[in-house]
Amino acid sequence: MKKYIKYFSLLSMALVFVGCNDELKELEPFVQGNPSTFFNTEQTFQYGVDGAYAQFFNYYADGANGYQGLPDILSDNVIIARTGRLSNETFYDYRYQPNTGGSVSLWWSEAYEAISNANLVIGQIDNLADSPEKDNILGQALAARAIAHFDLVRAYAKIPTQSADAAQSPGIIYIKVEDGDTDDPLANPTRETVASNYTEILGDLTRASQLIGDDNGEGRLNKNGVFGMLSRVYLYNGQYQDAISAANQVDAPIATKEQLPGVFTDDNNAGVLIEWSVNTSSESTYENVGVLYSQTVSGDLKSEYVIDYAFYTSIDTSDVRRPIMVERVMYSNNDYNAINKFKGEGTQINGLLDIKVLRMAEVFLNKAEAQFELGMETEALATLNVLRAERYNNFVAGTETGSALEEAIQFNRRVELSFEGHRFFDLKRRGKAITRSDFGDFADGGGTPAEIKVLPAGDNKFQLPLPIGETNANSNIEQNPGY
Amino acid sequence: MKTKFTWYFVMGFFLLAQISFAQQKTVTGTVTDQDGFELPGVNIIEEGTSNGQQTNFDGQYSIEVEQGSTLIFSYVGFKDEEVQVGQSNTYDVVMEQGESLEEVIVTGYGQQSRELSTSAVSTVTSEEIENLVPSTSVDNILQGKAAGVQVTAANGRPGQTAFVQIRGAGSINASTAPLYIVDGVPINQADVNNINPNDIAQFSILKDAATVSKYGSRGANGVVLITTKRGSKGDAKIVFRSSVGSGSKIDDPFDLMDASQKLELERQYAALGVNGADVLPGASASPERLAQLISYDTDWEEELLRNSYIQSNSLSISGGADKLTYFLSLGYDKNSGILDRIDGFERVSARLNSTYEAKDWLTVGTNISLARNTTDLPRDRNNVQNPFRALYDYNPYDPLYARDADGNVATSADGSPIFNTSGSIQGFPIARALKTEPEDNRNFLIIGSLFADLKINDKFSNRFQVGGTSNRYNRTNRSLAGGVLNSAVGNSDFPGTQTDNYSQDFEYNVNNVLSYSDTFGELHNFRADFLLEYNERIYTELRAGSRGYPTPDIPYQIIAAEPTLAYSTEARRVLFSQGLFVDYDYDGKYLASASIRSDGSSRFGPNNKYGYFYSGSLGWNIAREDFMEGSFFNDLKLRGSYGTAGNQNIPDFQYLNLLGFDSTYNGSTTAVPVGVGNPDVKWEAQSTLDIGVEFSMLNRRLRGVVDYYVKTSDDLLLNRPISNTVGDENNSILSNIGEIENKGLEVTLSGDIVRNQNLRWTIGGNVAFLDNEVKKLVNGVDIDNGTTILREGEERYTFNLVRYAGVNPANGQALYLDTEGNVTSEYLSGNNTVLSGKSPIANIEGGFYTSINYKGFGLRADFVGKAGNYILNYQRSDGVAIGGIGNSNRRVEAFNYWKNPGDQNVLPSPLYQGTADQTSTRFLEKGDYVRLRTLTLDYNLPSQFLNDNLGIDSFRIYATGQNILTFSKYEGDPEIGIGSGETANAGGRNSQATTGFVPGEFSLYSYPQTKSYTIGIEVGF
Repeated sequence: MKKYIKYFSLLSMALVFVGCNDELKELEPFVQGNPSTFFNTEQTFQYGVDGAYAQFFNYYADGANGYQGLPDILSDNVIIARTGRLSNETFYDYRYQPNTGGSVSLWWSEAYEAISNANLVIGQIDNLADSPEKDNILGQALAARAIAHFDLVRAYAKIPTQSADAAQSPGIIYIKVEDGDTDDPLANPTRETVASNYTEILGDLTRASQLIGDDNGEGRLNKNGVFGMLSRVYLYNGQYQDAISAANQVDAPIATKEQLPGVFTDDNNAGVLIEWSVNTSSESTYENVGVLYSQTVSGDLKSEYVIDYAFYTSIDTSDVRRPIMVERVMYSNNDYNAINKFKGEGTQINGLLDIKVLRMAEVFLNKAEAQFELGMETEALATLNVLRAERYNNFVAGTETGSALEEAIQFNRRVELSFEGHRFFDLKRRGKAITRSDFGDFADGGGTPAEIKVLPAGDNKFQLPLPIGETNANSNIEQNPGY
Repeated sequence: MKTKFTWYFVMGFFLLAQISFAQQKTVTGTVTDQDGFELPGVNIIEEGTSNGQQTNFDGQYSIEVEQGSTLIFSYVGFKDEEVQVGQSNTYDVVMEQGESLEEVIVTGYGQQSRELSTSAVSTVTSEEIENLVPSTSVDNILQGKAAGVQVTAANGRPGQTAFVQIRGAGSINASTAPLYIVDGVPINQADVNNINPNDIAQFSILKDAATVSKYGSRGANGVVLITTKRGSKGDAKIVFRSSVGSGSKIDDPFDLMDASQKLELERQYAALGVNGADVLPGASASPERLAQLISYDTDWEEELLRNSYIQSNSLSISGGADKLTYFLSLGYDKNSGILDRIDGFERVSARLNSTYEAKDWLTVGTNISLARNTTDLPRDRNNVQNPFRALYDYNPYDPLYARDADGNVATSADGSPIFNTSGSIQGFPIARALKTEPEDNRNFLIIGSLFADLKINDKFSNRFQVGGTSNRYNRTNRSLAGGVLNSAVGNSDFPGTQTDNYSQDFEYNVNNVLSYSDTFGELHNFRADFLLEYNERIYTELRAGSRGYPTPDIPYQIIAAEPTLAYSTEARRVLFSQGLFVDYDYDGKYLASASIRSDGSSRFGPNNKYGYFYSGSLGWNIAREDFMEGSFFNDLKLRGSYGTAGNQNIPDFQYLNLLGFDSTYNGSTTAVPVGVGNPDVKWEAQSTLDIGVEFSMLNRRLRGVVDYYVKTSDDLLLNRPISNTVGDENNSILSNIGEIENKGLEVTLSGDIVRNQNLRWTIGGNVAFLDNEVKKLVNGVDIDNGTTILREGEERYTFNLVRYAGVNPANGQALYLDTEGNVTSEYLSGNNTVLSGKSPIANIEGGFYTSINYKGFGLRADFVGKAGNYILNYQRSDGVAIGGIGNSNRRVEAFNYWKNPGDQNVLPSPLYQGTADQTSTRFLEKGDYVRLRTLTLDYNLPSQFLNDNLGIDSFRIYATGQNILTFSKYEGDPEIGIGSGETANAGGRNSQATTGFVPGEFSLYSYPQTKSYTIGIEVGF
């Protein structure tokens, strides 16, 4: 009997271990989800799309390297303030290299993260039954994927209208889940041509425009936003008639003179077609985009970059945009024409606010430029005058023709979209050189001028280098010429 | 406190009253060895009963027995002696040493006689650790005690755990802390400070493959087995220990400026035309004002620090009856720390270990320990919130309290002095902040296990054990309303903030070992153990924060106006293992062992779910050979082992593609892919070759162990870069790629120089030589880590700095070398040069001791030291910096700058601040040191003074000094672990090792090391 008790004890001890192997395999993460099973309702898919928007916010709003501000720093709109931290001086002086880091690596990495988020949604969208809600989610994801690729290709590759060789030059890698591009994380993909990239961007945007809803709430893409973006991409791609058609599809008013100041303090969203939004109370620690231009130090505004004096003085005092763009401040006993956009919500000076990606005013400017390029000067002038009527006090309709009209369109584009991340790309796509004035950083044009005054058209620095991390990891990718 | 003290006494005496009322004959005597040396702790049992006693420190015993009974005397390393009790009342016994020292060592999943072991195992016994201040974390206690165990104190904060590495660090990204096991139960490194050192019987440190391999994927960093004390059969033995002491900061080997010196430095800088110096008080103040400032002269060390109060009380009761043994202990430790205005570290612990022979084939037992510690933490940051930075930074002419125009202390309306916030205090009066920004940590640790030993028949036995450790961690972090931080960054509508963390770390372990042992033909001894083990760790955490406190007196969030933070999380890990361990010996002469273990871990990817680890080892007891008969060797063993182990301290779920919900977009939830999984991810692998010799000679007066090993760690987890087009958060996949090799020589020696009846003088020590090399990185690409670098062919984390070339004697400019070795006055970080052979890792580490016992007196000194490591001395860099002299004090050395052409051995001229104030080899110093860790003088009262009626068996008094002498050329305290708390956290709770940080890499302002003096008594009943 005793013998059996022993064996029974032994057996019961051994039985404890039955099933241990299953425990091992069944354990799942506790605070993270499974990307291949999570997306199964409209709501969860929307979380995925919102994830893509969050990635956009990450690289547009980055206080050190934001996509929202750096294209102005790379242009003739601003001059570096010597009493600032000299942030982004490497970019301002066009000394960036593949190992520079900052925007060079951030945009490349974060835009592809937005794409990855969008592809996650697109790849599993058929988990939902067909419905307008499904279409709307797919539309948002497709548009997000297109915009992220567009942000990449205009920064790291040539723009089709930039030069004759641009369309066939190396573009970026367009990642589409439908084509199996996301299957292998160890893949070493090669660059496609710029032309191919634009075809895919326009394809995604066009498809999105047919699916997406009219209003998805603040900070989310919608039909007007997609058509607005189409007008921009067509313009970049030299498809002027398509740009006009897309612009015509946008059904939204321009912000009025009275509304315009409130647009840049988030008091209203008049004329805003696409924005990346931030909840300044629950997300108070998020990236402060305004820090690209200035920050508050002991109550004083310390500028990193100020408006170029020649540009500033070219703006008529009757232009309501002038005080929105510029504020006279004193710092360290010097007067500066500080940048007044993106200082903060309401009266805050913390640089934390919504990113304006695309406004109705741009759609008018896209359309006017496309009309001009097609020789439709009368229509172009009319389009421009609609905008100008809301931008000048006591505006008398303009009558420019020919190159004067072209100049007026470009000048209004420069003023209207100043400090919103356009100027570098506008000069680039038009094949122009960047020419900075001889003035210094002080409010009266004195002080230290820019070190590099001219970036000649065709210079390789118009295309950012691919980050060294990419070329190290991906043996098949080709670096841009000159780096 | 006083109440606890009294309580111990009451309890002690209560138990005392129960001890002796047997009515038999009392037999006394003295037990000695063949040399006449008295043997303390010899077990004496009346045969066939549970009646037993032990000899006291003088080898004397006293036992009540019936005439005609037999007493059995037993002692480790000696043959048992039997004495028949006759008419006489006195029996002196001389014990004869056994065939060998039958030392039993605890090894993986069992124990073994040291003679038959084929593994490199170091043991540290309770006697070797009892002299350290008991609030010292037990991992710190190991420093210098065992060859090849590198212990670097993280800092000097009471209760702070240490960085422990066994035979060098074999990883880059994963933790290199060893596996700690207490009585068979694994515990977290972070929790070892909650073990009462007085409970520990023995540390057994497993170093080579022959034993660590048995721990499979958890063995690669070595294993520290902690065995706690158990009762032995016999009457209850009660030991009470109490000590008090005081500690202080170890004096710096340099002087800080006083008020007049600092003002003079400012004057000199202004005279030289240093930018901004002209407005400093030293240059601009009127003579009257200067005199006033000098009169304020403040020694900030005195204002902010104090002498710590150290107290320790413990009580243990142990004994056993026929079928039962027990060990019960209580402990209380307090170390206020040297920082004034906060409470310091406190620990209360209790333990009960017991075994019971339930049947002749069944023994059951349990070990339970409960311990709670509390500690308040000063901010360990390299900024104004750190008091240990403040004492070097604050200008000596800025007083603690604000002064009015007449120089009198300014007071607030209620008459209390107002803390000074101006000048170098920069608006953050640290003395006040320590009160208004309290941070309080509590840990409650339970370690418990129960086991059942089953003897199935003569050949088969089985041990089943269930154990668990559970640590509850609470942290309360407050900024009081109106306090220093709350006034600066708080919201005035919601004064005061509080954050509470609550985490529960629970790990349990179930194992079963079925053993078979047999002897064939009387000479072939064979044993096999089959292991099944299941281990799971469950970590949960809650965090909440709120703001708006009506009163600072109620530190609970229920009174707050509104919540600002809420958070909860959980993590788990599962390990399931099977193992087979085989030992064979031929007549104790020829030894062979082998092991194999498989580990399945929830952390390993589906393609590598199970890891297999094996070892093989051989030993030869040469001393047992016939031809050694009559040689002066008592023991001589040659052994060798080879095998593998793993390091599974890798992040959870690296093999999965994961979706994170951590951030919101415009206030709404987002689902974001956070990483690309690697289905191949697995443990970091390791293989170790070890060859060792163990010997003792001259009647065991000289004993030693020598080991040589080569430890190759490969499959180290590194981030393999992937194309960004994948959209991965880090643009990399954690992959098993890297390789590091550690090899070294370890020598442990001890010898009795004098050994006779009255005097015993022993010296001993250990030293380990370590050589470390990075063998393989991802595609051979360096990993630049700021001031250090990982490069193939170099030591792990070799320094990578611009080389300083002294001061230009012509003009006082700082000079540097470019990468080509040309002298330049330009400082460019592009001139960083890999300084081959200079790393924070010591090449030599060790400890030695000397101990003299004369009659009842004992004197023991323990030294620790290391050499060959380099430290980047940021503290000195700050102490002589040219920039920012208005806001911080300087070392007196700062006067020694270049003044005239031709000046040599000087600091750069203050006119070249831009190039002088730079990180370079100028501040890279050798970290060699030897420190007198403890010096103890004790006295054991001879038994003739102990009155039997009192029932006192032993009485010892002692005085100990800790860290009282240091020999080093380093310009600061050379014992550095974390330079600053934000850079690393030794044994951080639920954290992986901080990547890219090496203990001792640089000095900053973490809690400094302390020296202390304690006196104590130990009474045995």
